[in-house]
Amino acid sequence: MKFRKLIRILHRDIGYVAFGLTIIYSISGIAVNHVDDWNPNYSITKDTLIIPSEIDVKKPKKELIKNLSEIFQIKDSVKSFFKSSPFTIDVFFNKKTLSANLKTRVAILERVENRPILRESNFLHLNNPKKIWTWVADIFALSLILLAATGLFMVKGKKGIKGRGKWLTLLGIIIPLFFLYLYF
Amino acid sequence: MKVVSKIIIMLLLSTTISFSSGVKKYGKEITLEEKTKISDILKNPVEFEGKKVLVEGTVVGVCEKRGCWIKLASDKGYGTIKIKVNDGEIVFPLEAKGKKALVEGKVYSLVTKTKHEHKDGDKECENESAQKKIYQIKGLGAVIK
Repeated sequence: MKFRKLIRILHRDIGYVAFGLTIIYSISGIAVNHVDDWNPNYSITKDTLIIPSEIDVKKPKKELIKNLSEIFQIKDSVKSFFKSSPFTIDVFFNKKTLSANLKTRVAILERVENRPILRESNFLHLNNPKKIWTWVADIFALSLILLAATGLFMVKGKKGIKGRGKWLTLLGIIIPLFFLYLYF
Repeated sequence: MKVVSKIIIMLLLSTTISFSSGVKKYGKEITLEEKTKISDILKNPVEFEGKKVLVEGTVVGVCEKRGCWIKLASDKGYGTIKIKVNDGEIVFPLEAKGKKALVEGKVYSLVTKTKHEHKDGDKECENESAQKKIYQIKGLGAVIK
C-alpha cells in the first residue's frame, strides 16, 4: 500500500472514532476555561425568604423543619439537617438546601441544577472517573497526535506540507511559543 | 460491524448498571478501621496533627466551583471540619450535601491571614498582621452514602 493512501485511511478512521471525544473535550475545555467566572457543572440559584411570624421557631427541630418545608413549598424529602449555631439551621433536601437564621427569621433557599451535557463532559475531560478511563483518555491523546501527524501528509503539491502547509504548521507552532514568551 | 455494534451496546449497558449504585467512592481505598470522632479532633487538634484519621459525619458544605473540599459536621455541638483534597484528584459533587461521608486523611494545620479593615475618615486602613492557625484534614479517600 502506498504511504499516502495508508495515511489517508488512518486519518479517516481515527477521525471517525475520535469525533465524539473531541467534541466532549472541546465543549468541556471552553467551559472549564472560564471556571473563575461561572460554575461549569451546576447552575446554583439562591433565594432569600422571610420566615413568617406564625412559624414558631422554638418548636422541636423535626416539627420546625416540617413547618418550614410546608411554608416554602419544598416537597422533596429531607436528607438531613445541621445546626451550625444555636440560632441557625441548615436543612438538606435533594438538590436544595434551606439555611435558616431563626433569630433574624431570614432563610436562604439554594437550588442546585446540573448543567446537562456540560457536567458529564467535564467529568470525563477532567478524568474524574480515573481507573480504565485514564487509559481511554491516553489512547485518545495518542490518536490526536496521530491525527495531527497524518494530517500533515494528506495532500501533496502546493497545498501540501511542502507548500503553504509548512507556513500554516509554523504558525500553529509560533502561536503557543509567543504566549509562552509573553506570560511564562 | 456486528462486533462493533455489540461492543457499543455492552458498553452502554455497563454504564447504566454502574450509575445505579448509591454509594460512591472517591480517591484511595480506606485503610483505617478505627474511627476518630470529629469532636475529639476539634477539641484537641494539636494531638492529631500529622496523624492519619478516619472520620465520619454529615456533609454540610461542598466547594461550589471545583469540588475540592467538603465540610463535615461534628458529632457534638456546632463545629465542622474541612476536608481539603488536591484539585482534580478528588472532585466532590454538590449532591453530597446532607449525605453521610466516611473520610480518611491526615490532620494538618495552616496559618491564615485575617484582614481587618476600618475607615478612619477618608483614610482606609488595612491590618493584615492578624493570623489564625486552623486545622483541616488532607483527604486521601472517601465514601459518600
